[in-house]
Amino acid sequence: MMLFGRRNVLLAMFVIAAATPFLVNDYYLFIANTILIYVLLSIGLNVLVGYTGQLAFANAAMFGIGAYTTGLLQVRLGWPFWLAFPSGAVIATAVGLAISLPALRLKGLYLAVSTLAFAQFTQWTFLNWEAVTYGAGGFKTPPISFAPLPFSKEIGLYYLSLLFVVVLFVLAQNAVRSRFGRAFVAVRDSEIAAQSLGVDLLRYKALAFGISGFYAGIAGGLYSALLNFVSPEGYDLFQMVLQKAMIVVGGLGSIVGSILGAGAIVVILEALRAVKGVQEIAFGAILVGFVLFMPGGIAGFLKAKLRGWEEPLHRTQGDTPPSSTLVTPAEKSEVRS
Amino acid sequence: MTAPLLSVRDVSVSFGGVKVLDGIDLDVKSGEIRGLIGPNGAGKTTMLNVISGIHPPHHGDVLLDGVSIVGRKPSDIARLGLGRTFQTSQLFRGMTVLENLMTGLHHRTSSGLLAACFNTRRHQKEEEATKEEARQALEFIGMSAFADRPGSALSFGQQRVIEIARTLIGSPKVVLLDEPAVGLSLNRLAEFDLLLRRIRDEKGVTLILIEHVIRLVMDVCDRVTVLSSGRRIAEGSPDTVRNDAQVIEAYLGKELRARHPAS
Repeated sequence: MMLFGRRNVLLAMFVIAAATPFLVNDYYLFIANTILIYVLLSIGLNVLVGYTGQLAFANAAMFGIGAYTTGLLQVRLGWPFWLAFPSGAVIATAVGLAISLPALRLKGLYLAVSTLAFAQFTQWTFLNWEAVTYGAGGFKTPPISFAPLPFSKEIGLYYLSLLFVVVLFVLAQNAVRSRFGRAFVAVRDSEIAAQSLGVDLLRYKALAFGISGFYAGIAGGLYSALLNFVSPEGYDLFQMVLQKAMIVVGGLGSIVGSILGAGAIVVILEALRAVKGVQEIAFGAILVGFVLFMPGGIAGFLKAKLRGWEEPLHRTQGDTPPSSTLVTPAEKSEVRS
Repeated sequence: MTAPLLSVRDVSVSFGGVKVLDGIDLDVKSGEIRGLIGPNGAGKTTMLNVISGIHPPHHGDVLLDGVSIVGRKPSDIARLGLGRTFQTSQLFRGMTVLENLMTGLHHRTSSGLLAACFNTRRHQKEEEATKEEARQALEFIGMSAFADRPGSALSFGQQRVIEIARTLIGSPKVVLLDEPAVGLSLNRLAEFDLLLRRIRDEKGVTLILIEHVIRLVMDVCDRVTVLSSGRRIAEGSPDTVRNDAQVIEAYLGKELRARHPAS
């Protein structure tokens, strides 16, 4: 087993993550918790965009729906967090499945635009349906308690998030290695070939949307508890761009890449928080840089450079030469003979 | 006479007023290798798209093993035993060759999402069996050495052969091959004859072959159907078709002279 093999690196990351509450102050713990939540978002989005190839922009909206449902069920109906949180995930999943229905007919930019419209509609609802959502000002959620466990709210929520990250990481990793992952990639790489092999396009697109909705819903519930506050601007277009950047930087079509990308982007944003205006510039530069020079993302880079790093199946081939250049001149001349 | 395995009955398709297929009939017996030839624009690929469910016909019926498949989803038709390959390479480029073949077994595996997520014992067994079957399929086409190559790192000709194997692995009854010899070098073309016959004889698969390499069609096909401008202008044994005046007029004559001056 190589020292920098995937398993060792993941194990080391887990140990560091598990020890973090004992090593850092509340502010850094908050950042670490934010990273965990973004890891969940990125994994779900990567299944949809990186694996299944659906260029959808509704993830931030589903994140918001998870957060609003969790928050509003507590505030409006007095539900306990432990009931409101799973309900938020269920509702976000249902919304994910519902918006997959037009996705069968729409591809590429058309899908992007229609899911963008859905996201704007969701944002509008958060802002203007004041009787339910409290409008632009948002609302506070009751602090959650981990009693009878001997944890403070911060540490309890951190470990709850870590638990979800570990479990949902393993489940996603298993899923993409299975016939489901192969069906997703088949839909991404060639819809026509996928269906000629018996892969039902609607079913697998819906599944991918549902999975991303579920992950976003869980993340939303945790985020509302982390902030104790829910407001529309947390779930707007910039949020969506943030998540897209994470999967591009981490590596499209890589679950581990989702972890690395989420970590990298959150750290960069925090590091630049002090310098006003630089955040956006640096952020844009990083995105352009990755798209141009590292299309496989961090995961693709690691796979290429670290011998022990076996990125399992289905990585997008960032630097794929067109097939025609692979035909030898001799073969080319015979193509039409 | 036994009932045909695949039967196309009076099928018509028009695109914007142009009749691409005009009342086509086609009966293919089990175990047959059928050639489908004709000039460009004759409607050959449209015909395959009709049979595989991608373009439902505006008129007529398609029966697979006696069951009408018109109006069904392409994925359902595939499950009923109809495989096909495409004119351009449709290999899944982000997967390895072995994974491509495993995808061909998709509809014959049954693990649910939860079983896959939790990697249950039963799911592991099914994955192992899938992998083993994919290895055997690679052996059948003599490309075992390519198992772990990414799909994007193969030559065009190799991609085509892998695609055929990927279709065959799902045990289809009928496979539609759309210009499979494009991109093959001449010496590979000779092996290709053999491969098509082995597919029929060893796998018991009925083949419908669209091809412009006339020599391949004449060598390997039991019967040949000729389309021109959306109509069937001839059908019969390769010899009959070769000497048919209408076929020579519409397609072969020019082609043979232009492409095989020596023959």
